[in-house]
Amino acid sequence: MPSWSNFQPFIPIGLAAGGVYALSGVGMVVLYRATGVLNLAFGAIGAMGALIAWTMINTWHVPAGIAYVACILFGGVATLLYGMVFGRLLAARDPLVKAAATLGLALLMLGVMNRLWPAQVTRSITLPTDNTAFTFGDASVDWTQVIAVGFGVVMTVGTAIFLRVTKIGTAMRALADDREITATLGVPVRRVEAAAWFGSGLLAGAAGLLLADLVTLASDGLTFIVIFTLSAALIARLRSLTVTFVAAMVIGLVDNLITPINSITNFRDMTPFVLAIAALLFFSRERQYSFARGGIR
Amino acid sequence: MADSNVATRSRSSLRAAARLSRRDAINLLVVAGGVLFVLLALPSLLTPYWVVTSTSAVTFMIVALGLGLLVGRVGMISLGQGAVLALGAWVGARLLFATALPYPIVLVMTGLITMVLGTMIGLPALRVSGLYLALVTLMLAGAITVVLVDTNFPNGGSGFLGYADQSTGTPPSIRRPSIAESDPAFFRYVVIVALLMFLLALWHIRGKPGRAWAAIRQSEPAALAAGVNVTVYKMWAFALASFVTGIAGALLGSASHVLYAYTFPTSQSIVLFAVVLMGGVYTLFGAVIAGVLLQVIPGAFTVWGIPSEWATILFGVGVLQVLTTAPAGIAHQLPSDLARLGRFLFGVARRRIPAGGRAP
Repeated sequence: MPSWSNFQPFIPIGLAAGGVYALSGVGMVVLYRATGVLNLAFGAIGAMGALIAWTMINTWHVPAGIAYVACILFGGVATLLYGMVFGRLLAARDPLVKAAATLGLALLMLGVMNRLWPAQVTRSITLPTDNTAFTFGDASVDWTQVIAVGFGVVMTVGTAIFLRVTKIGTAMRALADDREITATLGVPVRRVEAAAWFGSGLLAGAAGLLLADLVTLASDGLTFIVIFTLSAALIARLRSLTVTFVAAMVIGLVDNLITPINSITNFRDMTPFVLAIAALLFFSRERQYSFARGGIR
Repeated sequence: MADSNVATRSRSSLRAAARLSRRDAINLLVVAGGVLFVLLALPSLLTPYWVVTSTSAVTFMIVALGLGLLVGRVGMISLGQGAVLALGAWVGARLLFATALPYPIVLVMTGLITMVLGTMIGLPALRVSGLYLALVTLMLAGAITVVLVDTNFPNGGSGFLGYADQSTGTPPSIRRPSIAESDPAFFRYVVIVALLMFLLALWHIRGKPGRAWAAIRQSEPAALAAGVNVTVYKMWAFALASFVTGIAGALLGSASHVLYAYTFPTSQSIVLFAVVLMGGVYTLFGAVIAGVLLQVIPGAFTVWGIPSEWATILFGVGVLQVLTTAPAGIAHQLPSDLARLGRFLFGVARRRIPAGGRAP
C-alpha cells in the first residue's frame, strides 16, 4: 500500500477534475430540469470547441484569449442551435427520447471531429495558468487546477442563487415542474428554454477547454468524459445541484487517488460506473417506479 | 336475429383471420425465399471481402435483434450493448480455447453466461426509471472498455484470463465449428444461428412475455395494476437480449479468429443504438436493416475510398431524423416510400397514356 506522500500529488489533480465534472454536471442538471433534455452530447460539444480553439491558436495564429472565448461561445451557440431546432421538435416527447436524440448529435460531432482533426495527431492546449504553480504540502498545485475547483464551486453556488433569486431562474424552476402550466401563466417558455440551452452550452465549452488542458485533447476521450459527469448527475438523481457538486468532487478524487495503488490503478476509470451502481442500489431500496409514460413515443 | 348477427360477425372475423393468414403465408414465403437465397446462392455470388463483411453484418443483425427487442418491445434503452457484445466475445473466446466442446454447446454456454452477467449489471437500473438504465448502460460501456484494455481478449494463454503476451509470431486463432471452417461455410453457419435467434425472439414476442412487454411499454403503472410483474419481465427482456448478444459475440470471435480490445470502443455501443433506431425497432426486419447499415455501408465506403468518418456522421444524422420524423425507422419507411413511389410512377404512366389510347 502506498504511503500518504504518494497520494498527495493526486489530490489537486483529483479536485481539479472534480471541479470540472461539477460545473459540467451543473450545466447538465439545469438543462435537464428546465427542458427535460439530458444532453449526452455535452462532452462532444466541449471537445469540438476545444479543437476549434486549438486550430485558431496553432494554424490561424489567433491570440490565445480570443480562441478560448471562441471555444466557450461555440459551446453556447452549438447547444442553442440544437435546442432551437431539435429541442422544439422533440419538446413533447419522453425524456428518454430527448436524451437519445442528443446521442445523434454526439455521433454527428464525433464523425466531424475525427474527419477534421484526425486522431493520429497529438494535440494539446496549455493555458497560461499552467505555468504558475505553488506547493501545498508535498503537492504541486498550478493555477489552472485552482481555477477548475473555483469555477466548479462558483458555478454551483451561482446557479443555485440564480435559480432562486432571478426572474428567469424562477421561470426555469417552474418549467421543470410543469411546462404547460408555466406557459399558461404567461412565461415566455421558448425564451427561458433558449437561455437554459445557451447557458448550459457555455458551460460545455468552458468544461471542454479546461478538460483539454487538464486531461487530454482527443475527440473520443473528451466526448466520453461525459460519463464522469453523468455519474455525478445520476447520483444527484438529476435534481440537486449540491449533491451533483459533491458527487463530482468525490468521483474526481477517487478516480485520481486510485492512481498510486498498483493493483487497481488500471481500473480507476471504472469509478463513475461503480459509484453510480452503488447509488442505484441505494435508491432501489425504495422501489421507486417511474410513472411517466414509458416507451418510445 | 341476434344469432344471425353473431354468426355474420364470427364469419367475418374468420374471413379476416383467413386473410391475415394468407398475408402471413406470403410473408413467410418471401422470408423463406430470402433465407434460402442467402444460404445457397449468396456466398458464391460474393467476393471473399464481401463474404466476410456479410458474415459480420449477419452477426450484428443478432445484436440489433436484442437491442431492438429492448427498445421497441419494452421501451428500455440500453446504451451498453456494445459492451455486452464484448463480454460475449470474451466469454466465447475463453470457452473455445479452454474446452473442446462442440461449437453449438459453446455458443449456448456463452449466451447463458453473458445473460447472467448482463442481467446482474442491469438489475439495479431496471428497478428505477428508464433514463437511469440508459445512463448506467452507457457507463457500463465505458467501464468494459477500461477492463478490456487491461485484460485483453483470450488468445490461448493460461490462467483465468487466457491471455499470453505474444508480441512475436501470430497468436493461435479462435476456432470455428468443424463443419464451417471456410469463410462461405461459416457465413452459412452464422445465417442459421441468426435465424434461430430471430425465431427465439419471435416465440417470445408472440407469447406471454411479448404481451407483458407491450403492456409495460404502453404504461408501467397500468401494467403493474394489471398484475404484470414489471421488474421480472424487464429483466427477462434484458436477459434475452444479453443471451443473443453473447452468442453474437462468440460468433464474432470465430469470424475474425483473433480479438483486440480496440475493436470494441465505447462509441460502438452508441453506433449500435443509432443503427438499430434507423433500422426500425418495431419489426424484426428492422434488425436485418440495422446489421446491413452497420457493416455493409462502412464496407462499401472502404471499397469506394470514402473516409469511414462519414458513416459515423450518417448514423448521427440518421438518429436525429428517425427520432424527429420517422420513429418506426427504415423498416417502416422503406415499404411505404416504395409504395408511394409506385403510386407516383403509376400515376405518371396513366397520365402519359390516356385511357384507351396509345402513348402520345
